[in-house]
Amino acid sequence: MAKSNDARAHDDHRPDVRKYMLVFGALLVLTCVTVVISKFHLPRPQAITLGLLVAVVKAGLVAAVFMHLWGEQKLVHKVLYVVAFFAAILILPLLDLRMVVSRITERMPVADQHPDEGAAPEAKPEAAPAPAPASAPAPKPAKKRAKSAPKNG
Amino acid sequence: MTTITMDNADTHSGITNAKLGVWLFLASEVMLFATLFTTYIVLRMGATSWPWGWDALNVPLATLNTAILISSSVTIVMAYAKAYDKNVGGFRFWMLMTLLLSFGFLVVKAFEYGHEFALGIGPSTSVFYAVYFTMTGLHGIHIIGGIIVNSALLYMSYCQEDWEHPLFLGRVEGAGLYWHFVDIVWIFLFPALYLL
Repeated sequence: MAKSNDARAHDDHRPDVRKYMLVFGALLVLTCVTVVISKFHLPRPQAITLGLLVAVVKAGLVAAVFMHLWGEQKLVHKVLYVVAFFAAILILPLLDLRMVVSRITERMPVADQHPDEGAAPEAKPEAAPAPAPASAPAPKPAKKRAKSAPKNG
Repeated sequence: MTTITMDNADTHSGITNAKLGVWLFLASEVMLFATLFTTYIVLRMGATSWPWGWDALNVPLATLNTAILISSSVTIVMAYAKAYDKNVGGFRFWMLMTLLLSFGFLVVKAFEYGHEFALGIGPSTSVFYAVYFTMTGLHGIHIIGGIIVNSALLYMSYCQEDWEHPLFLGRVEGAGLYWHFVDIVWIFLFPALYLL
């Protein structure tokens, strides 16, 4: 009797129980590794790199063996390439290493981040002028704040 | 005259329409969680301080939940193996184990949430807890969705007609793909929120 297309589609994914159990053991071991790594109080960059590396390996094992991506039809792989492309668009702007490193190592002065906020404050017009010597000319009235003065935020 | 039949709604790509549909659904789910993870990274980089998971959350309980979820991935793939072999008893056993482990995950999560709420901690406590409750809450909703689908498959296995339906194996495989995806999301959530 000829097999249905549905049955043929599943022939590529004949269950391999031994492989499932091996992956199960590997996942449990890697989970323990992640927890132990986090107890070592490594510097944040190293800890994050190691933690994510282990997570990627675990996710790869689940996807390749449990989800049968290993040996899956090319169409599914193409769908995942498209997803990876758009996910990369989301994540890649965050990989501005210069920004990340400067965040970690030193805080930028406020004046460099927001020049308007760091500018020297204008003289307050309401402030009472210091008593001038008798020979000095009388102080001019303070000008009003220019309309084009930048606003904060 | 040539007769064209829709034999199990096959595509010309070697996979069934249902399976392609599940993968496209999972693709949209990947984008959903990728957006959340991106938000997490941006908020964390912008925060002046970020608590260590060991200080702010219950890591042993989360580790237990990780083991539970990984085990449930194995049990559902075993259920698929039994369905492939047309072993209805084995399928029911492994699917029931998957459901029990799923409920176990939710119970452990409920203990964790309950302890935090008892301490007066909620999503509005800080940016960290807002991220934590949003991401784990959405993941929990996905767990509930998986429980509903897996329960339906277990129920259908008791109906001879459904069990012998040529598409039943594809349904089990689709449910399994979804469940493994939920597992993968947790594999990233666990270190991101609890350990790093």
